[in-house]
Amino acid sequence: MKHVRALMALATLSCFSVAVLAQQSPPPADEPGWAKGRPKTDTAMKMAPVPAFPIPTAEDKLPTKKFKLPPGFKVETWASGVLDARELRQGDKGNIFVSTLFVGNKVYALPEKAADGKRAPKVVIDKTEQATGIEFYKGTLFFATNKKIVRYDNIEDKLDNPGEPKVLNDKLPGGSDHSWKYLRVHKDKLYYNIGAPCNICDPGEYAKIYRMGLDGSNVETMAAGVRNTVGFDFDPKTGDLWFTDNGRDWFSEELPNDELNHLTKQGQHFGYPFCHQGSIPDPEFGWGKSCDDYVKPAALLGPHAGSLGLKFYTGKMFPAKYQGAMFIARHGPWNRTKKYADISVAWPDGKGGAKVEPFMTGFVENNSYLGRPVDFLVMKDGSLLVSDDHAGAIYRISYGK
Amino acid sequence: MRRRLRSLTGWTVALATTTLLVTAVSAQQKQGSARAASSPAPRPATALATPASAPASNVYAQRFATVCAACHGANGRSEMAGTPVLAGQPAFYSITQLFLFREGRRNNEAMIAVAKTMKDDDLRGFSDFIGTLPPVPAPAPSTAPDPARMATGQALAQQHKCFFCHGADLGGGQQVPRIAGQREDYLQASLQGFKSGKRPGYTQAMTEAVSQIPPADLDTLAYYAARFTAPAGK
Repeated sequence: MKHVRALMALATLSCFSVAVLAQQSPPPADEPGWAKGRPKTDTAMKMAPVPAFPIPTAEDKLPTKKFKLPPGFKVETWASGVLDARELRQGDKGNIFVSTLFVGNKVYALPEKAADGKRAPKVVIDKTEQATGIEFYKGTLFFATNKKIVRYDNIEDKLDNPGEPKVLNDKLPGGSDHSWKYLRVHKDKLYYNIGAPCNICDPGEYAKIYRMGLDGSNVETMAAGVRNTVGFDFDPKTGDLWFTDNGRDWFSEELPNDELNHLTKQGQHFGYPFCHQGSIPDPEFGWGKSCDDYVKPAALLGPHAGSLGLKFYTGKMFPAKYQGAMFIARHGPWNRTKKYADISVAWPDGKGGAKVEPFMTGFVENNSYLGRPVDFLVMKDGSLLVSDDHAGAIYRISYGK
Repeated sequence: MRRRLRSLTGWTVALATTTLLVTAVSAQQKQGSARAASSPAPRPATALATPASAPASNVYAQRFATVCAACHGANGRSEMAGTPVLAGQPAFYSITQLFLFREGRRNNEAMIAVAKTMKDDDLRGFSDFIGTLPPVPAPAPSTAPDPARMATGQALAQQHKCFFCHGADLGGGQQVPRIAGQREDYLQASLQGFKSGKRPGYTQAMTEAVSQIPPADLDTLAYYAARFTAPAGK
């Protein structure tokens, strides 16, 4: 589409150029969204989104022992055999809900306490594409696919048969690019994202964070110019929304960075598709725009980092310096030659920005992923669960003891 | 060795939809080893890359003979209508398909029934064994391939970049299947299924690749790939 527009723009300059271009370029009409803007070099052409393996990594092959953490912290395998484990939420009665993305098509429930040292995932939602967005609030599991948002009331009393959910919003645009959901409830509103339907394009009503009432009423735009957030949370001190945003692909190996963003006013625009990482005008959509017109990121999270889950640490187990910090899962790039992935930790600096440091490393060996972190859950004892969709596992990070 | 390098390459391109990709395929294939060394290997398919231990391999060789061979052929060369050739299929491709059957997503009653009985270790064992089956060429056809239709098929395969993911010899690699010498009826049904949405892929790659191709051209592609033999001297 974009190519067509570019061709038309050129046509106004010179019919000759159009003829030349048309001869050189194949018709781009059926190019998938994620490939838009990809350079036509062999190296770039070979890069594509990485699907998760259809079988979870066996427990004794998990990378748990290879992870490195700051002194005093330790990590253990909390559950294995959880295929495509993505988002984590806990029910009032202790169940840990785990969603999936492209492979699982399921939502699982796992018990808080292990029986005989094992936790077997129980399938509570099955045969559902992009079964990814979950949130638990006051007895209800909120669940969002790329097409709709529903609620399962009192689900913990009927895990074997949750029944038909109540539909809150079936007007989501669907599609494949950046269409999976991340959910949080804050002050009796459900927040959700609608990511850009492409790598880079004019997104219209996409590329926004929305919220609505818990009954689906009163949909409002909260933030715009957000290419794709797969993790957000509210600062327990200020109530402000903080979110990760995945930067555009194919710009270069090292640019742009993913963003950590901080919403201070409803409706703020964070730059996409016009400006990336607060400082780089898009080579196509940036013409006639200024990065100064958009909210700058609070921090940069690395090129093509795949920054996913974000959670403020609200437990008591970790040392005082982690109270009020955010944990961020960097899932790792697919369209970058050198791979990296970690759990980072970020502290709001009180001036709108944030300081970011690596927290847990060891996900990459010989430039290949052993695991890829996705989302977090702070347990009642203050330990931190981390999901890994690549290995199909959940790890538990604790301090001391 | 050559096959192993190709496999690595296949993995890296695997999800690349076949549209819009460069056409210098033969040049790339010649650089196979350099590419495999320098290209990113996004995911270590540990269980598949490691050769199955001898006892496990024997177990699944025997189970293949009892469970699979009746329809798919003792050597993996199926003689049964609509039943795919498994000989020469990469282990990774096989495990994704067994997974889709076990989940009930790929719609074939016989295969769903078989796959439902399999544990994760069985998926690995069967697919590792299938990965050891060498390719078996198609039996000589009673009539020679129609040169005009083969030429059209080749042009379509070039145009739609089939070679980019399936390889210059259409032999596949990692999660991309071998299509050279596959049964024509199976290829035809698969391509039409991807287009109509009835056949889910493990990824969206094929759905996207065939979405713009007219059904008649898909049949020509099936005709071509079923009769394809890799160019000599490659």
